[in-house]
Amino acid sequence: MEQFLYYLKASLISIRRAPLPYLITVLILSLGLGMFFANATFYYQLNRDPLPHKSAQLFFPQMNLVPFVAGGSKPIQVLSYSNVQKLAASSIPTAQAAMYSTDSYVRLDASQPALPVKLRATQRDFFSMFDVPLLHGAIWPDNSARDEVVIGQLLAEKLFGHSDVVGKTLLIDDRIFTISAVVVRWQMLPRLYDANNRNHTSETEQLFMPLETAYDMNYMSATMSRTLDDTDYRQLSTQGRTGALHQLQFWVQLDTPAQQQAYRDFMLQLAQSEKAAGRHPSAVNNQLPAMRDIVQYFAADSGDIKAYALVTLLFLLVCLFNASHLSLNRYLSNQYEFSLRRALGASRWQLQQQMWVDVLLLTAITVLLSLPIALAGISLMNYLWPDHVLFSQWDLSLLLTLVLLALGCSYVVTLYPAIRASFGGLNQQLKE
Amino acid sequence: MLELSNITKIFRTELIETHALRGINLTVNEGEFVALTGPSGSGKSTLLNVLGTLESFDGGDYKLDGTSIKGWSDRQLSNLRNEKIGFIFQGFNLIKDYSLFDNIELPLRYRGMAASERKRRVDQALELVGLAARKDYHPSQLSGGQQQRVAIARAIAGQPRILLADEPTGNLDSLMARQVMELLEQINAQGCTILMVTHDPDQARRASRQVQIVDGLLNDAALYDPLQQSVRTNTQSQQADVA
Repeated sequence: MEQFLYYLKASLISIRRAPLPYLITVLILSLGLGMFFANATFYYQLNRDPLPHKSAQLFFPQMNLVPFVAGGSKPIQVLSYSNVQKLAASSIPTAQAAMYSTDSYVRLDASQPALPVKLRATQRDFFSMFDVPLLHGAIWPDNSARDEVVIGQLLAEKLFGHSDVVGKTLLIDDRIFTISAVVVRWQMLPRLYDANNRNHTSETEQLFMPLETAYDMNYMSATMSRTLDDTDYRQLSTQGRTGALHQLQFWVQLDTPAQQQAYRDFMLQLAQSEKAAGRHPSAVNNQLPAMRDIVQYFAADSGDIKAYALVTLLFLLVCLFNASHLSLNRYLSNQYEFSLRRALGASRWQLQQQMWVDVLLLTAITVLLSLPIALAGISLMNYLWPDHVLFSQWDLSLLLTLVLLALGCSYVVTLYPAIRASFGGLNQQLKE
Repeated sequence: MLELSNITKIFRTELIETHALRGINLTVNEGEFVALTGPSGSGKSTLLNVLGTLESFDGGDYKLDGTSIKGWSDRQLSNLRNEKIGFIFQGFNLIKDYSLFDNIELPLRYRGMAASERKRRVDQALELVGLAARKDYHPSQLSGGQQQRVAIARAIAGQPRILLADEPTGNLDSLMARQVMELLEQINAQGCTILMVTHDPDQARRASRQVQIVDGLLNDAALYDPLQQSVRTNTQSQQADVA
């Protein structure tokens, strides 16, 4: 510890000797790191795996079950009600849920103004498949239609002023529903179960209704619905269950490779039997992307963020190059002292220890300066891309990454100059 | 104690090779005070730097206490410099923004010595050079002679067995030079071996032995006239006398 403090003192004296070049080095490095980190925050949050323990076991079946010859390399992103029923007939998955999102209005009684809400029409297994945490109550026991809803804690507090509201009633489009469960403040980031709609960067819904009830109430999908025949689907409760209205997302949980293979075989048999029955003329094209790969599968990642990531990375490299150059000049001007220390008995290893303290000091100062720069960068990006505000949050692992990145950059900036200085000719430097 | 056998040193650039040392054979015994003299560019500083392991050598062998240091690692050479050798430079080579105490303490730190022992040694060395009251001063607050005394204190604080001094009085006036020489004699009297490069024949005469270097070769018998910057060997002298 005493030696560390000595090295720290030596570093501070060295900085005091030529403060301006050091300040410029730190500013350049902090600017590069801050801008890079601002972008890295979005990039990290957008590309993180919200369910790392099961994202390789949740799958999004895709089939070409449409009543015409479909082109393109991928099937249509959503399924019809009847197709989902056929898929749901399989007992292979551990869990499975069909769903879609829609817009609705909610209020406690008819005297109140209606509050617009995003509503997810879904089935029982949705909550267990995506690890939705419950604060109160229980999920519906089956997938049948019922006038019961699950609401988010935020909406409960907004409507009732508190969250313990199980058993209470509310009006959804003036139909009375009983609250069966309350979800904890929950934000799946990114919300990968909605990636096929490129809607995975938005907030989670605050209201969950049984799918069958939503169909009964004639709720159409607010994000993606494809009508592939001439049926009038305004009467969703009847035609929507039989016709070629494609609006459902369908997720299955397949825990083992054997289950996954069995499900692929099941999908193949289903496609072949449907084709044989004349219900679809296209070639069999079944896809089973895992949740882990779903953004890539639907090419739903943000091009802006990617482009900006590249720009800030290049900017960081330019900053590193310039900071290294300044650092080299600073170290070479101190080469005399390196040589003197070596002449007096310091080994190269001991000089490298001194360099490491320089690196740690540079890292600490750079992190402190780059954080406000990163915050400014995030504010700018929130202004430019308001859709991504949810992804501008820091967590511990992200901050630790910044520290490691700053350490790496400080090492790069310091290493070469320090080695150059510590390998200089002793005699020549001492004479000069 | 020190034994150089046929030491050669060549400085190479892209265009030329300079043979700085051409086969030096030299033995220095414990407790000797050896003055290295010779004209500018003769190789005496290079020899001192080879002795102090600040320069490597290209050929020959260098034995210290009977052990060859040829092929030693950077760590071994650093330890050798730190524990057995003290350096005094013409330009003092003190770190300007360190106090006298911190300057003198520097080599002791790299030895991993305890703080209390470092303090005792630094105080002792400052006492010896007569600057005990100024240990918190910075070099810029001292005269040239005082700075050189600090450099001497730094060199002896580690209690080295050999002191290498490269023109230690080169930047000092005659009064201060005399004080420094007296200090070196005092240190030598305590048993420390000293090798000193000097241009001053008066100072060279105060050493127990003079060694002259000419064109990278030792010439024990040479007569060097620093005023004329020329060398006449004994043979040349004899021929001149005959003529």
